[in-house]
Amino acid sequence: MSDVLESLFVLGTSHHATPLDVREQFALTPAQALELQLQLHSHDGIRECLVLNTCNRLEIYGLADRIERVDEIRGLFCQKHNVSEVLFKQYAYSHNNLETLQHILEVSTGLDSQMVGETEILGQIKQAYTAARDAKCTGNVLNRLFEKSFQAAKAARTQTGITRGQISIGNVAVDLASRIFGKLTQSRVLLLGSGEVGAKTAQALKSRGVGDITVSSRTFENAHKLAHSLGGAAIDFEDFTEQLEHFDIIICSTAAPGSLLTKEVMKQNMKQRPERPCFLIDLAMPRDVDPAVEEVENVYLYNLDDLSSIANENLAARKAEIENAREILKKYAWNLWLQLRRRELMRKV
Amino acid sequence: MLNEIAMSDRNAFAAAAAIYGAAFLFGLITLLMRRPYSRAVMFALLVGAFLIQTLGLNLRGAEIKACPLGNPFEIAQFLAWSLVLLFFIIGPVFRLRLLGFFTAGLASLLAAGSFIVPSWDRAYPPGIFGGNPWIELHAALAIFSYGIFAILSLVSVMFLIQQHGLKKKQFKGVYQYLPSVQQLDLMAKRLLITGVIVLSASLIFGAVFWVNNHDLVPVFKLVATCLIWLGYLTVFVLRIQKKLVTRRHAIACIILFVLAMASLWPIQSAQSAQSAQSARDSEPSTHVER
Repeated sequence: MSDVLESLFVLGTSHHATPLDVREQFALTPAQALELQLQLHSHDGIRECLVLNTCNRLEIYGLADRIERVDEIRGLFCQKHNVSEVLFKQYAYSHNNLETLQHILEVSTGLDSQMVGETEILGQIKQAYTAARDAKCTGNVLNRLFEKSFQAAKAARTQTGITRGQISIGNVAVDLASRIFGKLTQSRVLLLGSGEVGAKTAQALKSRGVGDITVSSRTFENAHKLAHSLGGAAIDFEDFTEQLEHFDIIICSTAAPGSLLTKEVMKQNMKQRPERPCFLIDLAMPRDVDPAVEEVENVYLYNLDDLSSIANENLAARKAEIENAREILKKYAWNLWLQLRRRELMRKV
Repeated sequence: MLNEIAMSDRNAFAAAAAIYGAAFLFGLITLLMRRPYSRAVMFALLVGAFLIQTLGLNLRGAEIKACPLGNPFEIAQFLAWSLVLLFFIIGPVFRLRLLGFFTAGLASLLAAGSFIVPSWDRAYPPGIFGGNPWIELHAALAIFSYGIFAILSLVSVMFLIQQHGLKKKQFKGVYQYLPSVQQLDLMAKRLLITGVIVLSASLIFGAVFWVNNHDLVPVFKLVATCLIWLGYLTVFVLRIQKKLVTRRHAIACIILFVLAMASLWPIQSAQSAQSAQSARDSEPSTHVER
């Protein structure tokens, strides 16, 4: 008997094998991700699907009538988003059946995250799942799969110490800022974009004494709201480049498709403040800051990969806990696999 | 009274050099063990070495009846002493992490290095400064300014290490214990200003002497000293105008200090030759025996 769930699959790319500059090419806006999800669901051979789109990963979960559909999905994605299929094949991975289950459980627990053990990914998966469920793109199998993955993530976190000793992006940013400026009380922060990671980083800096935080976002209302919660001010997005010289720390987390800060812009900025260093934290995907900015004297540029690798420096000490968590998830995955097969068999009968 | 202390000046200098070296090793070992060192222990070791070195300089000064700056050995000792004195002034005020470690390293290098060539501590005729207190003040201030430039070069090295770590995304090791680049850059600016002022004052006192005693000042010494002063003055002006900042400023300060150190030897040799000639021309004198 052929397996009833043999066409359960995940196709995607993540930070593990895909460098930042390639991930930028695959990155989707929330609207594009939703559109892709609807398009896939309307495909005849795909019963259920969910697109998970974060800074570090783009994954398509689905249940198809046959496993060969994965190749069609790959082609469809590359054609729609004008991505080279050769490049996508080079960096993409796909799993099916039990491996898909194990994969989503590890992703939701944070074991597959760039900063191992981080909890933010769980919120992002929940958000993606809610959107897919509301759009009726998920069904019995994916609903069960994702709901169980949330339970498994919670269990693995409570039963192991994978989050112990974990360092957040905000903490790393604060430590780096201290190495650049010493005391942060005199430092002025500009937050570009009103994303969650950027806001958390600004909050971490504020908790270490930064006195002045300014927010700028394409939607002024969002900027104003976030500035109010951080006890700072908001400025027009169109004006921020003219005011760059006043800021020591610039956190970029916009959804802009191209670079907001180029080498030329930063060169001009540093001419106004040659003695004062500038710390750029680029949390955006695609990146908001041109990597060539790093060459500008007295500018220190850190992107998501840099901050994550620093945060993971104590990973070796947590290795045993990570293995324990993986074992717990394996049991969850096997039980879930048996449940899903039973349900599918029942449904077929 | 100093002569009654049962310790020769060279023994005191050797003991001080050993303690500076111990302080440096203590810092190095703890840093290699990826731990911050105890500031209290580092400070205590430096105070101990400094006091013993001060005793040595006093004994030597009492012996020659002048400021002990008559040969390369004494200059190196005085320079190390000035460097550590400056550390005691700026270290606790600005709390620059690892400055004690770097100071101990350079002080031990200068103090111990001066023992390597025995002829550096050669005897010289008494009254090398011609009994003129102004020229003695000139020499002391000049070497003290070199002490300031020595600590400036240490701060510049620390700046370059920290900046390298930040640019290359290095997080662990010595980088996490170093002060921030902004603190180091600000300190370098302050030290440069202070050093230029002290060296300028030293040259003014020297110029007063030189106007009345052209023959006693070797031309090489005059030219080399003025070039070093001009070098620092140029860096100072460019820094004030914000044209030479951060990395390039640090590199310029290190290069200038190396040049200043390299010029000390020929300056001292020219001065000794000139003094010996003057002594021979005037009257027979007894050299101070070591």
